[in-house]
Amino acid sequence: MTTPRTAFRARTAAFATAAALMLLLVAPRAQQALDRTKIPPAGPAPVLHVPVWTKSTLANGAELIVSEKHDLPLVSFTITFLGGASQFEPAGRQGLANLTASMMSEGTKTRNGEALSSALQLLGTNVSVSIGAESGSIGFQATSGKFAPTLDILADMLLNSTFPADALERLRGQRLVALAQARVQPNSIASRVFPRLLYGASHPYGQFVTEDSYKAITRDDVVTLHDAYFQPGRALVTIVGDVSAATVKSTIDKALAAWPKGGTKPNFAFPALPAPHATTIYLVDKPGAAQSTFAIGNPGPPRATPDYYALSVMNTILGGMFQSRLNANIREDKGYSYGVSSSFAYGKGPGPFRAGGDIVSAKTDAALVEFMKELGGIEGARPVTDEELTTAKDSLIQRLPGQFASVQGINNAITTIWIQGLPDDYYRQYQQKIAAVTKDDILRVAKQHIDLDHLAIVIVGDKASIAGPLKATGIAPIVSVDIDGKIGG
Amino acid sequence: MFNSRVTRILLALPACLILIQPATQATQSGASAIKIAFETYTLPNGLTVILAPDHTTPTVAVDVWYHVGSKNETVGRTGFAHLFEHVMFTGSGHVPYGIHDKLTEGVGGSNNGTTSNDRTTYYETVPSNYLEDQLWLESDRMGYLLDALDLAKLNAQRDVVKNERRQSMDNQPYGRAFEILAQATYPEGHPYSWDVIGSMSDLSAASEEDVKNFFRLYYAPNNTILTIVGDFETAQTKAWVTKYFGDIPRGKPVTRPIVPTVILEKEIRLVYEDRVQVPRLYIQWPTIGEKDDDRFALDVLSGILTGPRTARLTKALVYDQQAAASVNAFQNSNEDVGDFGVIITPRPDHSLTDLEAAADVVIDKLKADGPTAEEIQRATAGIELSFVSGLQSNLGKAFTLADGMGFHNDAGYFKMEYQKTLAVTPADVKRVANQYLTKGRVILSIVPLGKLDQASKPGQSRRVGGGGR
Repeated sequence: MTTPRTAFRARTAAFATAAALMLLLVAPRAQQALDRTKIPPAGPAPVLHVPVWTKSTLANGAELIVSEKHDLPLVSFTITFLGGASQFEPAGRQGLANLTASMMSEGTKTRNGEALSSALQLLGTNVSVSIGAESGSIGFQATSGKFAPTLDILADMLLNSTFPADALERLRGQRLVALAQARVQPNSIASRVFPRLLYGASHPYGQFVTEDSYKAITRDDVVTLHDAYFQPGRALVTIVGDVSAATVKSTIDKALAAWPKGGTKPNFAFPALPAPHATTIYLVDKPGAAQSTFAIGNPGPPRATPDYYALSVMNTILGGMFQSRLNANIREDKGYSYGVSSSFAYGKGPGPFRAGGDIVSAKTDAALVEFMKELGGIEGARPVTDEELTTAKDSLIQRLPGQFASVQGINNAITTIWIQGLPDDYYRQYQQKIAAVTKDDILRVAKQHIDLDHLAIVIVGDKASIAGPLKATGIAPIVSVDIDGKIGG
Repeated sequence: MFNSRVTRILLALPACLILIQPATQATQSGASAIKIAFETYTLPNGLTVILAPDHTTPTVAVDVWYHVGSKNETVGRTGFAHLFEHVMFTGSGHVPYGIHDKLTEGVGGSNNGTTSNDRTTYYETVPSNYLEDQLWLESDRMGYLLDALDLAKLNAQRDVVKNERRQSMDNQPYGRAFEILAQATYPEGHPYSWDVIGSMSDLSAASEEDVKNFFRLYYAPNNTILTIVGDFETAQTKAWVTKYFGDIPRGKPVTRPIVPTVILEKEIRLVYEDRVQVPRLYIQWPTIGEKDDDRFALDVLSGILTGPRTARLTKALVYDQQAAASVNAFQNSNEDVGDFGVIITPRPDHSLTDLEAAADVVIDKLKADGPTAEEIQRATAGIELSFVSGLQSNLGKAFTLADGMGFHNDAGYFKMEYQKTLAVTPADVKRVANQYLTKGRVILSIVPLGKLDQASKPGQSRRVGGGGR
């Protein structure tokens, strides 16, 4: 750990005073007085211990990974499926995948919804099912003594769900209330409008649930998606924790014996992106809002990009840490916000780069100037320093061991590399790949993946008070959009 | 509870917070797993130290727990304890601003602080070879904060905290509910009658002199617990603790505020207009805090009322009647007092008036008959997994040990919590339901702007505005 000596020397006067005071306080041992001006040197770095795992295949073709960890009587079990709502939802049925996942807790051929819930409560756990945009899962965490009975219930939910029609109506009603609530929540609004403006309505990344899409979903849609989706041919089973790799495979094969072969890994193909627009401010009016919610960005690269490591370091410096340039400036120096940040979404397709945060309404214009200044800065106006580069790399490399502290953390680490098609030695290579990033790499990937001439700047706020000042910045033309991203709304 | 930094992932705490506990026997593996190896000692200056080595992962968590929170504030300075927490991140006598983040986040770790009604806590998680740096950082701001106090940085943090209030409350649908409920439940001037975040005008009024006085009074080693959990060598760590904290002078004894218990004589009915699309009903009863064993039965009661689909209010309102989109009940135990709350979000075409009546039917039946033994068993069976899973987090363990020491003078209090929750009976739950869920309660309707008629019993509900009174 190196520290900026110049910044340190700026405090010399204060140190002298404090040191003198300390001499008085600990007079009898003054010769040993602690010099608090010296940063204690770090001890030798701990050896990186990456979890090990064994791979095999179940009788039905699902892949199996077991990673033993015996310090606590705990197990994390997951079946992960490649592909998600973007690959399996029919047009106009946004929300179907999510509803289908919820329907799997509504009863099986031998247990109704209440019986399932009671059985899981008594085991002290819960089986969660979810389907995201590009992957999904069914899984649980349990004490090791409850692993086998919980797995039996999971298998029942996976294979014997009955999808009662009245449950679908109840869930639909609950989702519609949640949607109505989201339509007045500033961050929810920004998270609908921003991708819609970047990708358009016909790209999966630009789509969102609507009242109409929820209302169009039928029970047949649910059954069809379930049957097509939950197939072993696109599944990875992971068990991490207090189990024996030698015996657990037969337990799982037995529990999932009724799950027949089928399914293949989906082809992740995405339509071409719409032609980019010149940088524009898209203003969503929220009369009387105390803050303006910002989302600034453009479509980014997929996770598979060779630029991933350089982008990670670049974004850590720009907006990925507390002392990143964006937060140090807009929160800590100016006080305009409780926090601003930036990120790349990655994923199988061109997930967005997004910078933003919630800004006090009266500083909306001033904050936009600072956001643009920092984006321009990372693209060359303010070159990355050696210190920034070192700190960002140390931060990324040394956080790795903490990700392997829990059975859930190890399970996530394993499923992540499987979903993204990364090599088994990914975590062992990581340090070296991050360490190899140069300042030139950072400049190149910033310029390549953040397009200052074609940014969508979404601001959700009090139009009456912020539109004039935003216009006066001269940064970009202002277009009004509604909460669904429709222009002129 | 408010964080000083951008909110990051807070690890689930073991058992002690979500105590929904098992009436029946834990499994053998679980019973033996309810343990944390630790030792405690006190430095001559009064600093309490808790050490819990665990070499599973090469990381370490450091937590510094000051026994001061928003209840120690004075009228006219609400929000000050939390604003002060932010000031603790602006650098100290020998630590220039920015070094703290560099020696935590910048080495693959993290840092943050949180303020509650009762205590303020600061923590770091880092690779274990950076432990000595954390002791240097924390001891410097405990001993030498005022040497580096910078008015410009205080003012910037004042603006940051105001933005934290806007982001979490004023610009958030339903965001002001708990502030209004606290003001209605507790009499004016009561230490729990204001929210931790404080009011905008009080935040504006806080001065440099306030910072100095607050620091001298509360940020002394004799008001503080230092907890270290993770991969460290005990003898070396003890030497470092003495080296960095040993010469910080003891402060004056701290006087704790006198906190009267609150009983509401009658129902208080309020309505608040907010920028929401869907109305929502809040019911809150004043109850008891952390130190009263009734909290275990109240925790179990909340798990019997809501949560899984078999829970009584959830089953009646969300599943059978399909009148609510969601319902949540909780017992919130602060150090001196607590409250029991129910929050109901309606489905369209179901009024808050009807939902209040439907909830009362369910609660009255539970008060009359009590729960079954199986209901208690279901509501408590998750405690073992919750505790054992929490043991995987150094930081979670540090919070558990420090809270036990701070509130109960026993870092090992988690074992007592576990046993007392397991011991809750149907009769206990019936008794606390009758004792606390009385007519003396606050009913708050939050309705869309201009829709006062959507309140529960609109004619009997008083409108509250900016102040909530």
